[in-house]
Amino acid sequence: MLRLSFNTFAERWPLFTGAILTVATGVALVQSSLLILVSAATQDLPPGLDPGAEAQMRDAYEGAVSLLGITLGIAYVLAIFIVSSTFAFTVAQRRRDLALLRLVGGSRGQLRRLLLSEALLLALFGSAIGVPLGILAEEAQSRLLVVLELIPPGFSAQWHDWILAVSFGVGIGVALTGVFAASRRAATVRPLDALRDVGDAARVMTAGRWIVGLLFTGGAVAMAIVSAHAPPEGAIALSANIALVGAIGLSMLSPLLVPLVGRAVGLVLRGTTLGGLAAANLRDAVRRTASTAAPLIVLSGLLIGLTGTLLSISNGIEEEQARDIAGDLVVTSTAEETARIASIPGVAAASAQTPVTVTLIERYPDGEGGEAVEREDTGFLAMDPAAYQQTHTRTPAAGSLDDLHGETVVVERGFNGHEVGDTIEASVAGREVTLRVVAVFDSSLSYDGFLLPRDLVSDEQLAQAPTQTIVRIAAGTDVDAVSMEIRAAGLGEVYTVAESISRAKSAQDDLNWRINAVIMGLSGLYALIAVINSVVIATSERKTEFAVARLSGLSRAQVLRMAFIESWAVATIALLLSGLAAGAALLGIRAAIDRLVGVPIAVVPWTMTAVVVAGSFLVVGAATLCTAAVATRPRPTTLATARE
Amino acid sequence: MRGVVKEYGTRQARVRALDGVSTDFPAGSWTAVMGPSGSGKSTLLHCAAGLEVVTSGQVRIGELDITTSSDAELTALRRRQIGFVFQSFNLLGSLTAGQNVALPLKLAGVRVSAREVRDVLAGVGLADRIRHRPRELSGGQQQRVAIARAMVTRPAVLFADEPTGALDSKSARVVLDLLRDMVDSDGQTIVMVTHDPAVAASADQVVFLSDGRIVDRTAGLNAHGVAERLAALED
Ligand SMILES: Nc1ncnc2c1ncn2[C@@H]1O[C@H](COP(=O)(O)OP(=O)(O)O)[C@@H](O)[C@H]1O
Ligand SMILES: [Mg+2]
Repeated sequence: MLRLSFNTFAERWPLFTGAILTVATGVALVQSSLLILVSAATQDLPPGLDPGAEAQMRDAYEGAVSLLGITLGIAYVLAIFIVSSTFAFTVAQRRRDLALLRLVGGSRGQLRRLLLSEALLLALFGSAIGVPLGILAEEAQSRLLVVLELIPPGFSAQWHDWILAVSFGVGIGVALTGVFAASRRAATVRPLDALRDVGDAARVMTAGRWIVGLLFTGGAVAMAIVSAHAPPEGAIALSANIALVGAIGLSMLSPLLVPLVGRAVGLVLRGTTLGGLAAANLRDAVRRTASTAAPLIVLSGLLIGLTGTLLSISNGIEEEQARDIAGDLVVTSTAEETARIASIPGVAAASAQTPVTVTLIERYPDGEGGEAVEREDTGFLAMDPAAYQQTHTRTPAAGSLDDLHGETVVVERGFNGHEVGDTIEASVAGREVTLRVVAVFDSSLSYDGFLLPRDLVSDEQLAQAPTQTIVRIAAGTDVDAVSMEIRAAGLGEVYTVAESISRAKSAQDDLNWRINAVIMGLSGLYALIAVINSVVIATSERKTEFAVARLSGLSRAQVLRMAFIESWAVATIALLLSGLAAGAALLGIRAAIDRLVGVPIAVVPWTMTAVVVAGSFLVVGAATLCTAAVATRPRPTTLATARE
Repeated sequence: MRGVVKEYGTRQARVRALDGVSTDFPAGSWTAVMGPSGSGKSTLLHCAAGLEVVTSGQVRIGELDITTSSDAELTALRRRQIGFVFQSFNLLGSLTAGQNVALPLKLAGVRVSAREVRDVLAGVGLADRIRHRPRELSGGQQQRVAIARAMVTRPAVLFADEPTGALDSKSARVVLDLLRDMVDSDGQTIVMVTHDPAVAASADQVVFLSDGRIVDRTAGLNAHGVAERLAALED
């Protein structure tokens, strides 16, 4: 039986090569993301760091781990989706061959076994290529993380032997999952279908497609609704999930949209023969159209959704800060200089805020009579409560900032569930202390409600730390004059509050761009490969159809043009649906920002959208033209007359 | 076949392709089914072979009532009892002629020797084409490979739908002679659909179909006689 697969491979190599390619790249991506995640989570810090630097580095690794968690999640879901849909497509494309096998005495079981063993072989091949490819991907991904300063420079990912089991397991498992349902369906093909050119018009919207489609689309909608109540630290992950899950769900439902777009193409190109042909082809090959569009829906949905989410967050932070800061100038300097700012004439209040990393210590019984200790780092601002209250409009939801003296702390709601009066064990600047929570802010987008009194940290330890001082000018005093004075005294860089906020926003946008690059870098590349792959597979499978079209009078150029029109229709379908998925993600983040900041903010990323739209038409169109050109190279008679 | 009715489509677009057909195809003989295009010939063949589920009525092959058979029983039937030849030759393009011929036996779990395959292909005059792919063969040669594939399992009944429909008259003659030989020397039963009187005349008897009903049957007519009967039907 497998002889048949090998021969079929020779015959339809783009189909099978495409399947192997998706497994190989998918395995590589998951393997590299997982190894980097594990390495970052278990990284040993270099010895001899002072406590502050050590805590800072640990904090950086923790940030990287949560970012890598999102990256791995997206990579994994993408691999499942792309591999299984490619494999299901390879099965669907061979309906006629399979019906023929039934006609000459093949049983349903034999068909299923054939398809499953074929998938197993392809997956083994793919995984075997994927493992070394994964090492390259890991190299690239680590370098990307270091270059973008999202992980400390000394970082290097470690190899673990168990990853082999994971990689092969993922490759094989994902491929078999994809083929399982498809093979079951294929086995029910009627022998008579071998005689009819059923194409793939036969029921595309199967029960499975409806279920997965509705479940995922519904899931995305549910997540968008839940977003309004989700904690801010989960917002990015949640938004990426909405875009991803929504895109997958909609791609499952895309066959419903195909006939509509087919009709639209027919209308737009009314009167032209090629337009009419393309429209008819679209309607006739719903499954092919849907399969080709699927990876593009996910890729553009993710790109637009994620970029929009990050932009909305940085706009939300800007809004939040403008609302919270009640000052005129912001001075950046080291902590040493801040004491002198208050004594400049005309300054009514000056609130210095120095970031301090606090290591939370959690002790719990380790189950063997001993005690396990877990450390977690969180960024706090060391400040003076009186000055802070004079320069900020924000007031705590519970407790009072006036009590912030000695071993006390202020946190935001939702932080480990702490309430006023709770105590937190922590290490601050190398000193272990028990901190009492004296006030709780509502949660915010910018996390700047984590405060501790300045007197908790010694002046020497703070001296060289970068510090921001928010300055309020006395009524009737010229802001510019005071600004000049501070600058002249050499106390640091002086900005207006507006300038400072917009500087912070640029920094945030820059960070977001880097986060986006890490999350979508390799995954985006993978999805792009899948997009091209699906176009190549679908187009090269149409060799005979193209030949027949040419025998009925179309020139080669006309066949190419027809395929091109169709490919743009496919891209249109994909972009419409990905727009919906991205839109759901934006609605989710809009609700979250509304709750946290009180203003509903959702930024449509027009630049990214334009790039994605233009890129989609370009890539899909070019890939179709190239493949169709190759597929129409043989003289049409050799193909069309081989009625096999 | 007893009182076989076959309808296609649902409510508004219902087509009655077979309307109460009862007939026997005697073992060891060759029956041609004739009739105008759309008269239900192919449908009759598909129902008789268990490829299509009948709307009502009964179809038996030997002792087995195939209208109530499970898929497994039908599969077993296709492996041992019946073979098919169609107008579009229906070979697997990825397999060579020899592999196409060996396929039914392999699916049935029977070991096939290269020699056996060569013998069967030699029987249809294609011993030297064993390693050719279908697309490297002419239409007549492809149809002979299809016949060899149908013969290799020595089926009791061979169902053929317009087996010469896509062939020139010389290739058609070769194919018809092969079928004749199967009936005469191996005692096989053949049910063949055609719209060509000259082809029908090769058979032992002819059944005429019109609008899904059997309207006439004859035996031992020449091509001219068959053509006259057909012309009478179409009026
Ligand atoms: N799968 C089908 N679905 C709907 N109608 C069909 C189908 N197959 C055949 N028919 C209809 O049944 C009638 C008989 O068809 P067929 O048996 O193919 O005729 P013949 O082979 O004599 O030309 C025709 O009217 C045809 O349109
Ligand atoms: Mg017919």
